[in-house]
Amino acid sequence: MALVCAPLGARAGSVEVIVNPDHSSAPIDRNLLRAIFTMRLRQWPDGEPIQVFVMPDGSELSNQFCREQLGTFPYVMRATWDRIVFTGTGLAPTVVSSEREMRERVRSTPGAVGYVRSGERSELLPVQPNVLLAPLGGFWRG
Amino acid sequence: MSCSLLSAGSGVADLSFSSVLSRLPIHRLAPVLLGCVLCVPVEALEYQLHGYAAQGFALSSGNNVFGDSTDGSLSYYEVGLNAQIQVRPRLLLAAQGAIRDAGATDTGVARLDYALMDYRIVSGADASAGIRIGKVKNPLGFFNETRDVIFTRPSILLPFIYSDNQNQRDLVFAAPGVQLYGSAVRGRHEWSATGTASADRYLSEADERLLVVLPVPSSIQMKDSWNGQIMDSIDGGRWQFAVSLYYARLVLNALYPSVPPASIYGNFGVGVDVISARYNAERFSLTAEYAIGPNRDYVTLGGNVIQNFRIVADSGYLQGDYRINSRWSALARADAYFRDRGDRDGRAFAAAHPGASAASRYAYDLTAGLSWRPNARWGVWGEYHWIDGSATVQALDNTGRVPSDHWSTLMLMAGLRF
Repeated sequence: MALVCAPLGARAGSVEVIVNPDHSSAPIDRNLLRAIFTMRLRQWPDGEPIQVFVMPDGSELSNQFCREQLGTFPYVMRATWDRIVFTGTGLAPTVVSSEREMRERVRSTPGAVGYVRSGERSELLPVQPNVLLAPLGGFWRG
Repeated sequence: MSCSLLSAGSGVADLSFSSVLSRLPIHRLAPVLLGCVLCVPVEALEYQLHGYAAQGFALSSGNNVFGDSTDGSLSYYEVGLNAQIQVRPRLLLAAQGAIRDAGATDTGVARLDYALMDYRIVSGADASAGIRIGKVKNPLGFFNETRDVIFTRPSILLPFIYSDNQNQRDLVFAAPGVQLYGSAVRGRHEWSATGTASADRYLSEADERLLVVLPVPSSIQMKDSWNGQIMDSIDGGRWQFAVSLYYARLVLNALYPSVPPASIYGNFGVGVDVISARYNAERFSLTAEYAIGPNRDYVTLGGNVIQNFRIVADSGYLQGDYRINSRWSALARADAYFRDRGDRDGRAFAAAHPGASAASRYAYDLTAGLSWRPNARWGVWGEYHWIDGSATVQALDNTGRVPSDHWSTLMLMAGLRF
């Protein structure tokens, strides 16, 4: 099954968003990304529940993702999730322990979204477009 | 006789929606909620469990804080466990139970912190809106909703605007009712708003003794209680601004055992309005909040007015947090509280009440603190408070003591969360 990368202008060596292929056609901009990762948005446009996966607090990848893709600080995101959890107003994202687990969980979970480090393979991807076979399947950049 | 919220509030108009709300059988919604859960296949349910536990230590000079702290006290602790069940993408059930011991005002009795059904009506990246029904948390300032979790509040002892010395958790900070919420993204701004109408209800004895000093049995009903907050989060939370409002009316009834017995009636309008601002940078954050609390007291004995006045308290603080590295963080805070903003130094009060201390009308607190978070689950906090004035000294923790006007407190806390 394919994983879909929505890079949002991510540079090689930085962070890319990955989405379960069921929602590969969903255009992802920063507003949508913030809505998803602050757990404000619970559904994809087709009604499928969004499943959010993140790396542990303090990990380099988590810190990079918050800064580069969400444009905020890791401690601000932590405060947002804590507020949700301890007021009963939503679910916290699922924390995975490695990038490998991140890829596997996003690939195998319907409606999943997460992020990984942009690898060398991504560096080889053309900016426009489109599909390159990767170990997990097709990568898409747009 | 006194009724002491920070603000115990100004005239509150009769709000018919609150009266209607009081007749809603919120407690009877449980079977409906259970039905919602049961009609969904078990494998479709997504749920989470979270919790927290923290043990505190207090050592103070002059006055007791959260127990007999002048001798050093370990009686301060807080524990909570919560569950969220996402029944459908738009429907969430959540509840949290909590136990807290903080001296005379909170005595380790288990309490239902919140229990609610959250239905999302509008769900989009740029706009969302929904409704919560049940016992909900009242957004008030930046920190009220998660005030009992050491990991989510700005220090062990909260700033004065949060009335940390008075409990009031079932009174002001959470209540059964209906809450509407929504958010909208416009450019760099993410606006969010919450409005809550709380059910009319009679207070428990434990809450009454925090509010009223009366030598005879009494009943207090809370009416027309509502709360609202508007927040603007700019650039992903770099800047945050909020305005929060809270109002309620407390109606007191008691019978004075004179011959013949005379009825005591009290009508207290209480309120708190909070303005909040925060700037978040990579290494430091600056937070400032200001609260103003009008309090209208009207009391009659046998039909004769014995108390009729309006007093306005206010309070504010400025706090700086510095993240030394990923594990260590330091804070410094200047905090102040005035029971009567028209008499900040208390001189007019002392002149009108011979024997009363002017310092009982204000409090200044300079705080320095340090925290260590070795990982996401554990944390240790320490802070020292230099306090001038006794307005925030909790009388129930200091029975038989003469309040000290210049005093200090060392607070330590170790916490776990999952």
